[in-house]
Amino acid sequence: MTTPMLEIRDLHVRIEEREILKGVNLVVPKGEVHAIMGRNGSGKSTLSYVLAGKDDYEITSGEVLLDGQNILEMEPSERAVAGLFLAFQYPIEIPGVATMTFLKAALNATRKAKGEGEISTPDFMRAVKEAGASLNIDSTMLKRALNVGFSGGEKKRAEILQMALLKPKMCVLDETDSGLDIDALQVVSKGVNALRDGTRSMLVITHYQRLLNHIVPDVVHVFSDGKVVESGTKELALELEAKGYAGFDGEKAA
Amino acid sequence: MSVIPVRLGPAETKLIEQLQAVGASAEAERLAAVGLPTRRVEAYHYTDLKLLLRAVPELAEGSAVTDGSALAIAGAFRFGIANGRVQAHGAAPAGVIVGHTKGGVLTTRDDVVTRLNGAFAADALTLDLTGAVAPVIQIDRRVEGRAGHSTSSARIFVGDGGSAVIVEVYSGSDEAHLTNHSTFLQVGKGATVTHITVNLMSAKATHFATSEYLLGEDAKLRTLVINAGAAVSRTQVFPRFAGARAHADVTGLNLVSDGQHADITMDALHAVPHTSSKPLFKSIARGRSKAVVQGRLVVARDAQKTDAKLMSQGLMLSDEAEILVKPELEIYADDVVCGHGSTCGQLDDDHLFYLVSRGISKPEAETMLVRAFLAELIDPIEDEALNAALTGVIEGWLAKG
Ligand SMILES: Nc1ncnc2c1ncn2[C@@H]1O[C@H](COP(=O)(O)OP(=O)(O)O)[C@@H](O)[C@H]1O
Ligand SMILES: [Mg+2]
Repeated sequence: MTTPMLEIRDLHVRIEEREILKGVNLVVPKGEVHAIMGRNGSGKSTLSYVLAGKDDYEITSGEVLLDGQNILEMEPSERAVAGLFLAFQYPIEIPGVATMTFLKAALNATRKAKGEGEISTPDFMRAVKEAGASLNIDSTMLKRALNVGFSGGEKKRAEILQMALLKPKMCVLDETDSGLDIDALQVVSKGVNALRDGTRSMLVITHYQRLLNHIVPDVVHVFSDGKVVESGTKELALELEAKGYAGFDGEKAA
Repeated sequence: MSVIPVRLGPAETKLIEQLQAVGASAEAERLAAVGLPTRRVEAYHYTDLKLLLRAVPELAEGSAVTDGSALAIAGAFRFGIANGRVQAHGAAPAGVIVGHTKGGVLTTRDDVVTRLNGAFAADALTLDLTGAVAPVIQIDRRVEGRAGHSTSSARIFVGDGGSAVIVEVYSGSDEAHLTNHSTFLQVGKGATVTHITVNLMSAKATHFATSEYLLGEDAKLRTLVINAGAAVSRTQVFPRFAGARAHADVTGLNLVSDGQHADITMDALHAVPHTSSKPLFKSIARGRSKAVVQGRLVVARDAQKTDAKLMSQGLMLSDEAEILVKPELEIYADDVVCGHGSTCGQLDDDHLFYLVSRGISKPEAETMLVRAFLAELIDPIEDEALNAALTGVIEGWLAKG
């Protein structure tokens, strides 16, 4: 059996003495797109932050393997250059850091890890233009400080732009659909689908089924109270939409 | 009334001796009577000179010649002042008339640094600028040779409708100098001036600098103080808004590392109606160091419609660093918009996480955020060579960390 792109084994995580993730098990093989659906507060963002390496969390047990390598002891920047990318649910604004400066620093970090030299300015400009082409990213957006003054939709598109530029092997998308109208949802989905290449894997976290009409997953996992409670094909998402989460976790609908 | 005599330390004794030697006996007597200011003097609350000024070196000899500059700015026209003496210079650029005057240039005020500057000032550089002066005017003030007590002064008039960019650089040999520099800058009606001072003194030195500004009607001034050098430094800025619609962006930056104490003290007077100011001071402190920002805004009784907002921001890069901020508003007019605010903290963890989550290493991410913190001060400097030189000062400081 080939090594999965992402394997999460019995992951338990606490925040301030409270257990949020209660034994997550999940395997995403190479080239597959998996969706995680779960009600608000079930721990989806916590899972994505723990994968990316945010240090507010106490990991009490479990393992996370990225392409066979245990990443829990790695710095967030090391995980990123190893090919993990988290598209944030709430991308934050960083005043004073120019978007282009940031993109170049991120791209060069990735190149350095691969033993490549710094990218030339013309090549960089070309790469950004290419990555942004299908995302309706206009150049004025790129001239601003990172995410500063971006609308909700612009922030999400900028996340996908970063993903397209850095070409990670494992993408985690945390509620990339939240705050998007239908048109923006289509643009973002198109951008994401363009990155499906049979090798790259994705974990698409969402609260609503509608995103999965655009980014069609290979497998859907239902997440409830800090763990995966059911996995199935994309029809599971429709079933979930029809029955509500209560049909899966026994709790009352929120 | 009984007067308790002040106990004088070696620094004060030496200063008194030197004051007598230059014939400033009134100042000598005053200093003997009151001593250097301690923390009990409000304006020196965080910069206790009696404590911080341990020794005063001999008066610097005036014979030194210098042509080196601690800050190279491409295309700038340079004046040098070495050990208090104005150096020979090339033919002045169009619109610049160079002269000399004797003695101090600052308006008398109850401030020891100002008084000492006036008492010791000998040879003052004068510049009369008219029209749009093209090159950046750079005034290099250096102390050469062994540790010396050096005083210098410059008086600059920018004529009505004129424009100029002036940068002053304070530097010296790597000795325990005591420096006290002053600038009086008059910004004529409708004139636009940028005035930047950069303290790059040796880490052994004690450095004082005072810049006084007089703004006429419709004058526009941007100032930037950078305190990057000296063991102890205090840079004073005294803007006076004397004409309607005069505006100043008074800005400053303390960059302090282990063992350093840097103070930026502003005392601004809005003297007439319809003037505005936006003082913005930032401090970055690392190691065991201290950065001080004092900002005083005085609005005279007649100065209705004054619009003045004072902001101070601190960034602490170590647990032993201290950033001390004291804003003061003294408002005698009733129809004004005045305020102050201050923030102080460490780098934002969420900002840091966002950057590292994209593969940028933690040290690089930290540097990016420090630069971002400073961008507001450096970005408005339009002259590219000057902007690059100032960026270089900051990058140099960051690299030493
Ligand atoms: N920093 C935090 N401190 C304390 N509790 C937190 C923190 N972050 C999340 N939580 C709690 O953890 C639970 C899961 O949150 P989250 O992972 O954001 O859920 P989801 O993304 O599924 O909506 C919630 O009950 C939330 O209140
Ligand atoms: Mg969430």
